[in-house]
Amino acid sequence: MKEIHVSKRNIFVAAILFVVLVMGLLVLQNWPIRIKKDLIPTSAEDSLASIAAVSAMDKFFQVDYQEGKEAWLMRICEVSTPAGCEIFTAGADHLWEKYLDARTVVSVHSEALEKLADSGDEQIWKISITLSSALPGSNKTQDTAHIVLLNTESGWKFDRFLLEAEINAILTRLKPSGMENK
Amino acid sequence: MKRTLLSLIILLLLIPISVHAQEEDPWAEVFLADGTLNPDLIDLGVTTNYPEWMSMDLPFGQTIDLEANYHRFQTASGNIVVLPSASTLFFMAMNPQESGLSSAYGGLGNGYGSLISFLGVVSGDNLDWGRIQADHPEYTQPDQFWNAVLNGQQEVWTYFSGWSFITTLLQISWDDAALRSFYLLYMNGVLDCASLPGGCSGIVTPPPATRQCPDATVRLQQPVLLIQKTAPNNPLVVGQDPENRRGADILARVTIPPVIFTWYEPIYEERDICRAVRAGETADCNTGLGSSVKDGVTDTILVFKECRTHVERLPDPVASLQARATLDGASQDWITSKLGQTHYEAYIHQANFILIPGLGSWTGGCDGSGVCTATGQALRVPFADPGTFLLRLDLITKGTFFRGIQITQPRQVGMDGALQVYVTLPALVP
Repeated sequence: MKEIHVSKRNIFVAAILFVVLVMGLLVLQNWPIRIKKDLIPTSAEDSLASIAAVSAMDKFFQVDYQEGKEAWLMRICEVSTPAGCEIFTAGADHLWEKYLDARTVVSVHSEALEKLADSGDEQIWKISITLSSALPGSNKTQDTAHIVLLNTESGWKFDRFLLEAEINAILTRLKPSGMENK
Repeated sequence: MKRTLLSLIILLLLIPISVHAQEEDPWAEVFLADGTLNPDLIDLGVTTNYPEWMSMDLPFGQTIDLEANYHRFQTASGNIVVLPSASTLFFMAMNPQESGLSSAYGGLGNGYGSLISFLGVVSGDNLDWGRIQADHPEYTQPDQFWNAVLNGQQEVWTYFSGWSFITTLLQISWDDAALRSFYLLYMNGVLDCASLPGGCSGIVTPPPATRQCPDATVRLQQPVLLIQKTAPNNPLVVGQDPENRRGADILARVTIPPVIFTWYEPIYEERDICRAVRAGETADCNTGLGSSVKDGVTDTILVFKECRTHVERLPDPVASLQARATLDGASQDWITSKLGQTHYEAYIHQANFILIPGLGSWTGGCDGSGVCTATGQALRVPFADPGTFLLRLDLITKGTFFRGIQITQPRQVGMDGALQVYVTLPALVP
């Protein structure tokens, strides 16, 4: 049998290293890091869905009238479900006419604020959107979107914007009990 | 699979309900006794619009307009029958007041059983029945809940636990226009056509008839639409076809039969009579009213003889014709996901083409028999993506006129077609 010699000095150094490591872990676990709770996805799926949601809003609200409607829709459809793509394609004529008339060029920054609902394969996300300049018919450069994400074979995809009635219903549901009458 | 199943169930549910003719029942002029549609109805065709209650509000005050789609008929008495598409019907049910659903004949508590069944199937597992019962124990059956929704007494959106079914429903409706058979009846709809679902498109407004003769009648015949690829037989994505960037040729053709307007002219004949004498006239005949001497004056009057029938073949020319091609969602998905896995940087080149007017143009006119035609062509359209392109043809007519009086309103009709574009992919053969 092979005999290994360990000096007292080495044992002392190892003990100090162990104590420092344990202390460091404890400090890291309890450090009061100030991160908005809602911004932290609670699971890997949430994380993927929130990335898809942000990407979809970035593509939807990044408008450059010079690139044409087709290029704009193509970007949107890349991150959308087939049904969602069809809705946007069929319903975007009037929207694009406005962008064209106003010679709109807008860049965008989006941020996932909160997951509002989750039914397994579907999630509702509230997204904060900041534009470089206002879109035609609006003077706002910051707004929030409430959107449906669907888990498909090719990952989380943007399905559609919630209707106003749906947003109100979801926000009402999320109110703490007792708030309804105030 | 889920989508196909939903389509089948909706189709089964929307099989026309048998309505038996009853005296004084306005449905009696819509359906025959055996429950089939009365062939004498004027088929107003399919019309589409973008109502506010079907618009999707986006951030920054933007909106996406969703298409409402109705097939409509007009009865002899001026009532209007409306068959909404499945998605239009769903949104009408969610907005019964704004959409005009609640002003349809019969009231919502009477005869709307199949509409309630339709809503139940469409919403399916996406309705949280457990929460409805917890909040509203008064609803012991889903039918009671839906009835309250249709009567505007119950908010529904709070109780949905799934959301993408609405997008799927819209897609199904667009892809299969036959998914409609729920009939709504609007009494005297002709008189207030602006408030009808679908508005005044194609509504027949014949001039008032003379008293002696029958009412004028109008018979519309459905336009025949065609949109299809004409060449080559199997188009390849541009760049792969033997002729350099050959693309494909698309033909759109419309034939609109004349509107048959039948009206009746009262024919009068002059008849000699002996009328009572007036002051200053000299009597020259006997009126036969008991006098033995001449007590009247000879005169002529116009007497109704018969009704002469006139059949006019009124042309309904094309006012505008539009055609477009859109790469369908499944093909786009295939390119970006499946094709992208085997062919690096596969991407969608151009998913939408405005064919006419745009890449091509159209011409049209009417012949002496009242038949109007329009033909448009887009040649060598450079389709660069493989898959199925959905072709869409939309047209609006000018309406028909007779002696300066409008007989039928302009019609909006459309049809869908499809075009397959192929790609050659290299494969390694072991």
